[in-house]
Amino acid sequence: MTAERFARQSFLGDDAEARIARVTVGVPGLGGGGSHIIQQLAHIGFQRYVLYDDDVVEESNLNRLVGAEARDALAETPKLHIAKMRILSLQPHAIIRGYACKWQEKPEPLRECQIVMGAVDSYRGRRELEIACRRYLMHYIDIGMDVHGGERPVIGGQIILSSPGGPCMTCMRFLTADKLATEAARYGNAGGRPQVVWPNGALASTAVGLAVDLVTGWTRKNRSYAYLAYDGNEGTLTPSKTLIGIEKYVCEHFGDTDLGDPVSIPL
Amino acid sequence: MTVAIKMTGRLYDEIWRDLERPHPFAHERVGFVFGRIGTRDDGGRLVLLTRYHAIPDAQYIDDPTVNARIGPEAMTWAMQAVYHGRPAREGVFHIHMHGYAGETGMSKTDRREIPPMMPGFQSVGRDAAHGIIILSLDHGSGWVCLPGNATLVPCGNVAVIGKEVKVFERGRRA
Amino acid sequence: MDYPRAQTDELKPYCTKLSLFTEGGVPFFSLEGLRLPESCEPQVCDALLCPVTRDNYPSRLYLSVKVKSHYDRNWNCENARIGEKNWFAFSWKVEGADLTLAQVLMAHLLGFTKEK
Repeated sequence: MTAERFARQSFLGDDAEARIARVTVGVPGLGGGGSHIIQQLAHIGFQRYVLYDDDVVEESNLNRLVGAEARDALAETPKLHIAKMRILSLQPHAIIRGYACKWQEKPEPLRECQIVMGAVDSYRGRRELEIACRRYLMHYIDIGMDVHGGERPVIGGQIILSSPGGPCMTCMRFLTADKLATEAARYGNAGGRPQVVWPNGALASTAVGLAVDLVTGWTRKNRSYAYLAYDGNEGTLTPSKTLIGIEKYVCEHFGDTDLGDPVSIPL
Repeated sequence: MTVAIKMTGRLYDEIWRDLERPHPFAHERVGFVFGRIGTRDDGGRLVLLTRYHAIPDAQYIDDPTVNARIGPEAMTWAMQAVYHGRPAREGVFHIHMHGYAGETGMSKTDRREIPPMMPGFQSVGRDAAHGIIILSLDHGSGWVCLPGNATLVPCGNVAVIGKEVKVFERGRRA
Repeated sequence: MDYPRAQTDELKPYCTKLSLFTEGGVPFFSLEGLRLPESCEPQVCDALLCPVTRDNYPSRLYLSVKVKSHYDRNWNCENARIGEKNWFAFSWKVEGADLTLAQVLMAHLLGFTKEK
């Protein structure tokens, strides 16, 4: 790989490529959001990946799954394979550890990441990922979109950065007891949620930008949290109002006892 | 068996702020940092650092033959902390800084003085990992004694998960 | 939150090993080798008892496997990741204030033997 390859991103810093190449990124879920994420990571120069997806390409994915072609739906190509090929086409020497399962079934590889980028489709899934990221010290960047409203659809979404030692998704009032309870009550009845490519792209791009900033520090913003609310109808990303006053907040949901392999106190 | 160390950016900054302070007579400072174990995919281990203890000035011994020497009160404190950390399997790491850039290893004095501390820590906290971390101006190296193993295993990398992610790899420039 | 020793001691006869951990601020009692009612298959499994409100349940009993019993239950919690293990739970609400931990556990175990 020549210096010319990254000539247009020199503003990230002299040693940006080396820093980026040393970081391991976990992406549990290679669907509409995850497929965008890994493509961009590969373009930028990330070399080390831990990927999970147990699903295959279906026709209904073709409206948004980056890297998938019509023949993949016919062939039922695993999404993990699509992702691997996409990365390797851009970074032939990338080290990819891929698992055709849910991350919860093989969680140990994820723990070696420094950054985890999640595009999961449930609040419970997000909570579980955040707990794992706090236990094993990883930045967690979450994206998600939804479409609601019957006759007048509204596209919403979010990008969240939850970092060890910083406010968590509960502190930022994204994860709430009500949301988790409502979701638990609907279990099994969720059905196929509306998903389209352009909000996924907007969210994934911004999330990747956050990841690059965490590694290179190019904006000098020194963030330990972020919660950007996406309005897909207006095409805007704005800091969530729930962040007002959060810089004074000390997270009470995760402490030292939540680090490392769980240790139970015998009674 | 592979081992890696991780810490938050906040902890790394706290350690740095303490270690770079001048001492009345020692040429360098020493601290203790505590860590808990996580399991890796290859059966190896992660050490997740939790908190730092700055050794008070008065607990150093004025020994001009070495850059820093800590006294028995500092060691007693560390042993007691390991004892109290047993339910959480929290171990202790001796940490100091070499004032140059690039990957750093143990000096001759380090190799003579620090590894002999490990059996004592292991005897008190046998289910925890203990070891040594040495920071440089832009890098970090670690060696870990895992539970049940008296050998100090060099870490593959030391990572700082902070507002800027840093990955210090063994065998690579910063 | 501290639980009285008398209450935690009452849980011990139901399992082979009892311990406690918290995750994300939520307490979980780990009951290794919990003995289940006779109609269950398996008869013994590991369990977590969460004694506080979580996901719209005032308390919840999570099991290490999906247990078969006389009644078909709605296993609306599958592969929930807690304490770095995966757990299962069926929909069963235990109401009532000021229940002891053992009373909560027994009320959950009734889910295997009581129709509603």
